[in-house]
Amino acid sequence: MSETVVVDGARAGRFAKVLIVTGSVILAVVALAAILAPLLTGWGPTEIDPLGTLVPPGPGHPLGTDANGMDVWSRLLHAGRLDLGIAVAGVAVAVVAGTTLGLVAGYLGGWVDDVLMRVVDVFQAFPTFILALAVAALVGNGTGNLIAVIAAVNAPAYARLVRAEVRTVRESAFVAASVTSGASTLGVLWRHVLPNSLTPVRVIAPLNAGWAMLTLAGLSFLGLGVTVPAAEWGAMISLGSPDVVAGRWWTSVPPGLVLLICVLGFSLLGEGLQERAEAKRR
Amino acid sequence: MRIVRFVGRRLLQLVPVLLGVVVLTFLLVRVLPGDPIRTILGPNATPEDAAAARARYGLDQPIVKQFLDYLGGLVTGDLGTSIQSGTPVGSEIGLRVGPTFELVVLALAVALVVAVLLGVWSARHADRAGDHGVRLMALVGNSMPEFWLGLVLILVGYSVLGWFPAPSGRVDPDTNLTPLTGADLLDAALTLNGPAFGSALAHLILPVATLSIVVVAPLLRSVRASALEVLHSEPYTAAKAHGLRGRTLLRGYLLRATLARLPSLAALVFGTSIGSTVLVEYVFSWQGFGQWALRGLLYRDYPVVQASVLVIAFCYVVVFLIADVVQAVLDPRVQI
Repeated sequence: MSETVVVDGARAGRFAKVLIVTGSVILAVVALAAILAPLLTGWGPTEIDPLGTLVPPGPGHPLGTDANGMDVWSRLLHAGRLDLGIAVAGVAVAVVAGTTLGLVAGYLGGWVDDVLMRVVDVFQAFPTFILALAVAALVGNGTGNLIAVIAAVNAPAYARLVRAEVRTVRESAFVAASVTSGASTLGVLWRHVLPNSLTPVRVIAPLNAGWAMLTLAGLSFLGLGVTVPAAEWGAMISLGSPDVVAGRWWTSVPPGLVLLICVLGFSLLGEGLQERAEAKRR
Repeated sequence: MRIVRFVGRRLLQLVPVLLGVVVLTFLLVRVLPGDPIRTILGPNATPEDAAAARARYGLDQPIVKQFLDYLGGLVTGDLGTSIQSGTPVGSEIGLRVGPTFELVVLALAVALVVAVLLGVWSARHADRAGDHGVRLMALVGNSMPEFWLGLVLILVGYSVLGWFPAPSGRVDPDTNLTPLTGADLLDAALTLNGPAFGSALAHLILPVATLSIVVVAPLLRSVRASALEVLHSEPYTAAKAHGLRGRTLLRGYLLRATLARLPSLAALVFGTSIGSTVLVEYVFSWQGFGQWALRGLLYRDYPVVQASVLVIAFCYVVVFLIADVVQAVLDPRVQI
């Protein structure tokens, strides 16, 4: 019995590696394309071709132009900057804020814990996208605001996750030992409790970044996120959506496909990390 | 009896959460920028007009009084009056909920069936080519922007193939469908209106397909995981070692144990599907609850925003409650 478990674990470990590498490669390619965008196209992301709107793909415009006469290929490449940037920054802020809240609530317990967790309850009484929609509509768009929206809707989940971990770590002997040997509360939290409470965060964060990209693109699609002329995949899909009924595919299909591939990269990475964490546990 | 007590206790626990939602929404819509009055008055309105309009909707009152009035209304089932349309919010919701419900329920039903069939199959063929294929499909589905998928389906199904109607509306107006519940397919069936039934069905296929593809992915993964767990569990191994027939193993041991875990997953997925529904409705011009709530939000229509947020939060928490109850019924080990 124990032998099969070991074999299973090893195989799962290998599979996890494939997932992690594939996901990372996808993300690296998209990020590089976004950074090197000016080298890969002659058109600026908001540059208008005076010769025509909705030009089909062909020489000069590999993916045609959109309803504003902007080059779709160029916008596709440049959009990665905003999409990846906002999603990753938003999740990073969410991780820091959520972890801090979870740490405080879980370690202190008592009324602080009660109050913080009731607030988390209220936030989690909504599906994430609905919450993002409401907050975005109320605070308005702009890169900073969008990062804040992504952070606000994701932070409660981290708070809950970390709090649960902290409550088990808090009871362990090494924490009691450092408390009795006179370490300060902050020191105990920072050196002992925090590092041992982060495992689930590491696994969830990449998956979360993928969802954050979908949230951002969804907001932009509804006109509540990044707005045209700025290059962003959701806004591009939105601008191209009337073309679909007329059978013009090039304005909305490519940005969605790239978005899908990029989110898939995050999903593969997250899935791989999860698989590896499970393989280790076995 | 225990279940009744459990439901009662849980419903009581919902009160503070929902009250928190009410207070938070009420304050947020007022504190944050945006003015519902400016959007209904034209650009030529004088400050006096604005003040008069404010007074008409009670927005000139102190915020505490506004809140108490609103709360008093809620207790008696009055959700307020839409600033945009001037009609009671309650009756507007009544018109909009049917179409959305139809969409979500059908999509969830399709997704549940597909997820159970594929998930169990995949678990029984774990780590073989077919299983890897299913898992990859689930990952792709999980990463899918639903609004884009809807557009692609419109492109293929309507623009290229011409098999489905244009993405505007839910039923062909020429079929003279008498609205009863707002769920067009159901209304057509109830009024025995054959052409309307066909039209409503044709309009439903693409949005339901979009929504169920997005919803099926997380369900599929969870069903596969729990089926795998059951396959490795002691009761199942023991039953298999006793040489039970394949069908008995599948129906009696695998499916039942796997399904017992499904309700809480389905509840979770219901939550994400509410968010996706807003986008899918927008793509297909569905004119349901999602689009209505979105418009309310954009125009800062306070009563509409408050009511729709409350309805969504209420549905969400009640679905979780239902899931817990169903789970307790399916799985006698669950103590409630």
